[in-house]
Amino acid sequence: MDTVAQLIVNGLLLGGVLALSALGFNIIFGVMRVVNLAHGDLVVIAALTCAVAYAHWHINPLLLLPFTALGGFVIGACIQRFLLRRLPAEVSSGEASSLVLTFGLSYFLAGAGLWIFGGQIRSVPYLTGAIQLGPISVPQARLLAFVAAIVIAGLLGVFLRYTSIGRAIRATSMNLDGALACGVDADLVRTVSFGLGSAVAAAAGTLLSYVYTFNPQDGIPFTISAFAVIAIGGLGSYTGALLGALVLGFAQAFAAYYAGSTLADAAPYVLFVLVMLVLPQGILGRRAT
Amino acid sequence: MKGAGWIVAAIALVALTLLPLHMNGYWLNLLYQTVLFVGLAYGFNIISGYAGYFSFGQIAFFGIGAYTTGALALGTHWDWTICALIGGVLCGVLALPIGAIMLRLRGPFFAIGMLGLAQTARVLASSSSALGGGSGMYLPPGSSLLPVYYWTLVVAGGAFAVTWWIDHSAFGLRLQAIREDEAIAATLGVATTRAKVTAFIISAIIPGLLGGGYAWFLTYIEPSSAFSARVDLQSIVMAILGGIGTLWGPLVGAVLMTQVSEALWANFPQAYLMIFGGLLVVLLIVLPRGIVPAVTARWQKRNTPSAGGGMAMGGVKPEPELP
Repeated sequence: MDTVAQLIVNGLLLGGVLALSALGFNIIFGVMRVVNLAHGDLVVIAALTCAVAYAHWHINPLLLLPFTALGGFVIGACIQRFLLRRLPAEVSSGEASSLVLTFGLSYFLAGAGLWIFGGQIRSVPYLTGAIQLGPISVPQARLLAFVAAIVIAGLLGVFLRYTSIGRAIRATSMNLDGALACGVDADLVRTVSFGLGSAVAAAAGTLLSYVYTFNPQDGIPFTISAFAVIAIGGLGSYTGALLGALVLGFAQAFAAYYAGSTLADAAPYVLFVLVMLVLPQGILGRRAT
Repeated sequence: MKGAGWIVAAIALVALTLLPLHMNGYWLNLLYQTVLFVGLAYGFNIISGYAGYFSFGQIAFFGIGAYTTGALALGTHWDWTICALIGGVLCGVLALPIGAIMLRLRGPFFAIGMLGLAQTARVLASSSSALGGGSGMYLPPGSSLLPVYYWTLVVAGGAFAVTWWIDHSAFGLRLQAIREDEAIAATLGVATTRAKVTAFIISAIIPGLLGGGYAWFLTYIEPSSAFSARVDLQSIVMAILGGIGTLWGPLVGAVLMTQVSEALWANFPQAYLMIFGGLLVVLLIVLPRGIVPAVTARWQKRNTPSAGGGMAMGGVKPEPELP
């Protein structure tokens, strides 16, 4: 019983950070119908930046968060403005070319990370203690990451709900033609959305630097887990993403305990395949609208 | 014209068969790499180019072929060609259920599913102690490159032949109909699932067979070389450079790029993935359809001047392109 309670706590704490990462992915997908295969690489680069800063100057990653998020925003806005927007419209399958483009970007970023940071595994050995709550121990680093992720997700929700650009982003993801008819500057919205999504990815990477170890080629698993989260919770739905992240967090925590860490790494993928088998029309149905 | 094409092909085949007998190690290695990537690019092209399902996980089958060959050769002492053949067949057998599941997903969902498949296969290989785990396994030394080269040449030639057949058959038309609009293709009576899964199986057997030869070429396989990100990215870039969904594109792309990529890999291994990833991005913006379609379009324009001129003389303004 205590073990189960402990695993639930672990899953909850992990789920919070996974939810943040998935929210970034979701904004970009929702607005542009672009699956950003470079998402995980932005997460990893932010985490490595924090790990290097911690190793050299003992800076708490939380203090770096505004800077990594800003860096993510600039990179994301540039990707949309200078690359995705220039994709020729003549090619019959525009969706495929944006997909291949982010695939190339993923390798570009991973390669750049390898060049800048080297291939070694890095981590942030900060707040390694744990708080004891009866039989349950709560790792301080994970708790901090969880709380920060929830705060950022909340701020993001407020931004999307109450600011005019946030409303424009939501309108564009609901119905592009309708948004255009209401005078939304779709080009600006796309740039801001890609920037925002990338900023959130970088913020998630900053927080994950407390939790995991990283090397530059670890990006793909984070892309897959972000995708699995929103596939489970329902594409385009923000509350769904939170639910999906909790499911994935629990699955990873339980798999790590009962089946070992290798299988826990495969958990997002296995879950993704299971969801596909059980609810393929759910995933595709959402997409068709 | 048609006869001339066959004569050129026959001469090329004879040259590719006989020349390696008189080559030194460097050139033979380069020729092997070229033929290997021609084969891999054709494997990617069938499912991604003709059927329009972008598979970034073809390397999974390459790795499964390599590991099957290695494990069988160590366990049974059979001739490696038999082991590699079994590896290819195994990939084809595995591709049936994998394809049946994965191809229910469309567009980016399929792509991310295949990316995950490759990742999962790599994780499983590195955690399996029977396969040597993260440290890999050593194959018997003393093999020469020449038989591996001929194996790869036969597989790549077969991949070209299959693509030629697809390009000239009703099956190929069905795949292209699926690529353009799957719902309409199904309405018109194309058995879409059957066509897609068949294309997927063919696209899996080719890297499976090539992986077996690659294992023998390396004589040492471990997860990151069998499921190599470099090989995956490189074959995709080559296919897209030449022009995917065309008969000649993968050949042109792989022949043009192999020497460049080998030089880059030898001199800048740290920056290699960055350069190739960046190249892919630039390529999609500058030359999105690839070399072969661009050249054929220009060729047709030059040979039929009346088409462009006639329209201008008729006073019909070409429609301005939408941004």
